[in-house]
Amino acid sequence: MAQRNFLSRLGDELRYSLDNLTETVGDLAVPTVRLGVTGLSRAGKTVFITALIHNLVNGGRLPMFDASAEGRIARAALEPQPDDDVPRFDVEAHVETLLNERLWPQSTRRISELRLTIEFESASLLSRTLGRGRLHLDIVDYPGEWLLDLPLLEKDFRSFCEEALARARDPARADVAAPFLAALAAADARAEAAEPTARLLASRYTDYLGACRADERALSMLPPGRFLMPGDLEGSPALTFAPLDPATLEGSPRPGSLAAMMERRFEAYKKHIVRPFFRDHFARLDRQIVLVDALNALNAGPAALRDLEAALAEILAAFRPGRVSRLFSIFTRRIDRILFAATKADHLHRADHDRLEAILKRTVARAIERAEYSGADVDALALAAIRATREASVTHDGETMPAILGTPLPGERVNGDTYDGNTEIALFPGDLPDDPEEVFAGSEARNPPVRFVRFRPPALQTTAEGATLSLPHIRLDRALQFLIGDHLA
Amino acid sequence: MTGPDHPPDGAAHRRRPDRERKPAAFRLDDARVRLDSDAHEALTRGETRVVPTGATAPRQAAATPERSPRGVSWGRWLTIGLGGLASLAIGLSIDALIRDLFARTDWLGWLAVALAGLAAMALLGLILREVTGLLRLKKIDEIRTSLTAAAEDDDDATARAGLRQLIALYRERPETARGRRALTDHLGEVIDGRDLVILAERDLLKPLDARALRIVNDSVKRVSLVTAISPRAVLDLAIVLVENLRIMRRISALYGGRPGVFGFLRLARHVAAHLAVTGGMAAGDSLVSQLLGHGLAARLSARLGEGVINGLLTARVGIAAIEVCRPAPFIAARGPNVSDVMGELFKGDPEAQALLEEAKAAPPRKD
Repeated sequence: MAQRNFLSRLGDELRYSLDNLTETVGDLAVPTVRLGVTGLSRAGKTVFITALIHNLVNGGRLPMFDASAEGRIARAALEPQPDDDVPRFDVEAHVETLLNERLWPQSTRRISELRLTIEFESASLLSRTLGRGRLHLDIVDYPGEWLLDLPLLEKDFRSFCEEALARARDPARADVAAPFLAALAAADARAEAAEPTARLLASRYTDYLGACRADERALSMLPPGRFLMPGDLEGSPALTFAPLDPATLEGSPRPGSLAAMMERRFEAYKKHIVRPFFRDHFARLDRQIVLVDALNALNAGPAALRDLEAALAEILAAFRPGRVSRLFSIFTRRIDRILFAATKADHLHRADHDRLEAILKRTVARAIERAEYSGADVDALALAAIRATREASVTHDGETMPAILGTPLPGERVNGDTYDGNTEIALFPGDLPDDPEEVFAGSEARNPPVRFVRFRPPALQTTAEGATLSLPHIRLDRALQFLIGDHLA
Repeated sequence: MTGPDHPPDGAAHRRRPDRERKPAAFRLDDARVRLDSDAHEALTRGETRVVPTGATAPRQAAATPERSPRGVSWGRWLTIGLGGLASLAIGLSIDALIRDLFARTDWLGWLAVALAGLAAMALLGLILREVTGLLRLKKIDEIRTSLTAAAEDDDDATARAGLRQLIALYRERPETARGRRALTDHLGEVIDGRDLVILAERDLLKPLDARALRIVNDSVKRVSLVTAISPRAVLDLAIVLVENLRIMRRISALYGGRPGVFGFLRLARHVAAHLAVTGGMAAGDSLVSQLLGHGLAARLSARLGEGVINGLLTARVGIAAIEVCRPAPFIAARGPNVSDVMGELFKGDPEAQALLEEAKAAPPRKD
């Protein structure tokens, strides 16, 4: 596999160091923590960020978050963000949607950023006297699909085609990939490049990726990510390409041929879209939380889980965990704490949280190993940034089961019953196995033993003054403590 | 902890049927679904009962520590026999006395009967108090054992049971109201076992810990001072003894114990055992050597040096008492150590203070 050329890599590194240098100077005034919220689409990034801000700003119940529980947080407020060319994360609108309309935020279509400034009193005498008592927390929200592009940075067109076609020919995807493969067979890579052919291939490929993502399959490894969520680049040439059959790519393609055009567009995609995205938002992170929606994959079966595992492994390889000595931290940043969180933990009973954690750890085992090897602190937990359900025990036909109470989203189905979005139900989602390997092994044919349903956000009471009570959550406080607790100690 | 026939992880709430259970959903507005209905009412076939669980699903009692089997304890039987004989003798002599008094004058006899009744009542009260005191101490030990186990295994159910007992223990203490309310709130949420124990420490026990430390501090100061100025060695000895016993009683009372005589003996035995096990010296040792080695004691008069040594002893006893009486282990918080207590003593002396800082900064030795 050909590697990204040395010069461009060197250039990137120099640029990171320069940026870092200017930021270090800024940090002397008020320290900044860049929190990378990483997760594929629908993993719950936007909800996590919204819940985090709402809880910190409104002083929510965070008993395991030391600074908040000990009453040392004087104030937390949103401040003007450092980058003026990025839209602001619209936290107010998201809270409004969640609380009043009881809907989850729409899937994120573009990048947005925000800065939360926390004023606190340190618990230790030394940093209380010397420290500034302020901390900037910079968070970026972006469409999760775009993360799938990060592994492309290290690939050339040929290896991209090989991998993409190997996946498309996988039996699990064969039926949805058929239209694309047919179009590909009809096109001749050596022939003169024609825009209609390129457009047809690209649109078929996009349809195939979209079909793979649908709930029945819930597959994750679907690069390039902008095909699924183009943002404002829809229809531009950089997005009008598709993988070609590697068998037709022998030798260097004739200039002007379809293959040459596709390759050029792929390189342009990497250069103008992927690399700036990575450079601006991921190259210099201090802390990272990786949100994983394991439940959706569990619903779809072992193939989806294996695909999720592969996608996360490739994506996380693009990040740089590890420790940097004090001296070198002027030039470079490393992610020294990574938290892996299985989101939507409120969709199953707490008795199963340990098993969900085990499945999560198995899914990201490679990334955990790598992060620990490079010296970063790693933790994994089952999390619900906003808790949409209550727990109950259900007795039916002489059998008592642990269940959850909640209102399913309109259109959700269990055992052939479809809900309208207003009915509250008690759901026993099935038992997760004790051994996480069990959910990875096995074939498609087997009916998954578990069925998770998406619930609507909780109905929250407001006080007489109209103030909303804090958003309920599961282990959000522990996540916060792990991610930024040491900066507020 | 658990016996050999229990599953090794000890978490009973994780047990579930072997066969696979199918996912199932029940609409709450269905006529056949009863929400919150009376748990004793029988369900007909096809009906479903849904009971929201606020705090925890199954209420599982904490595993009780197993008793070690004992052989025939002859000493105990001897005590019982002799004690019975002695009681009979006392009873007989009282009986004889009352008869004699009746033989003299009636009113003297009645007076004696009344006094005997009073004594009997007081005796009963005393016994009752001793028994409740002992039970309470035992209860505190049980809570500590179950909380320690819960923190080690990160076991939700055990932690919740332990926390409920802890809240019940402090119910009659108005100053803990805030902590108890916070803890009750935590119980309603999904929080892991170990985290719950940490929260209990922080919300409920932290103010008590601070007061316990102050109690030890006061005693250390008193002992050091009295030793330094007392004219006779016998007097110091008495003071040290009295202060140490007082520390134990006050700390036990602070953490919710109400030891009577027997309870107190038991407590003293535990404190002594704790001192023996941990050496009681881990932190103290380095401190003493620091102080003496740097010639601090020599700079002071011999009496003052003795005062410091006696103070150290008292501090160690006090810390052991805290660890024995506290109904939860130290998990998130660092337990108090000798330098915490002695620091107060040398507040005025910058050089001693520096030495203490040094001793504190040195990595604590694990026992």
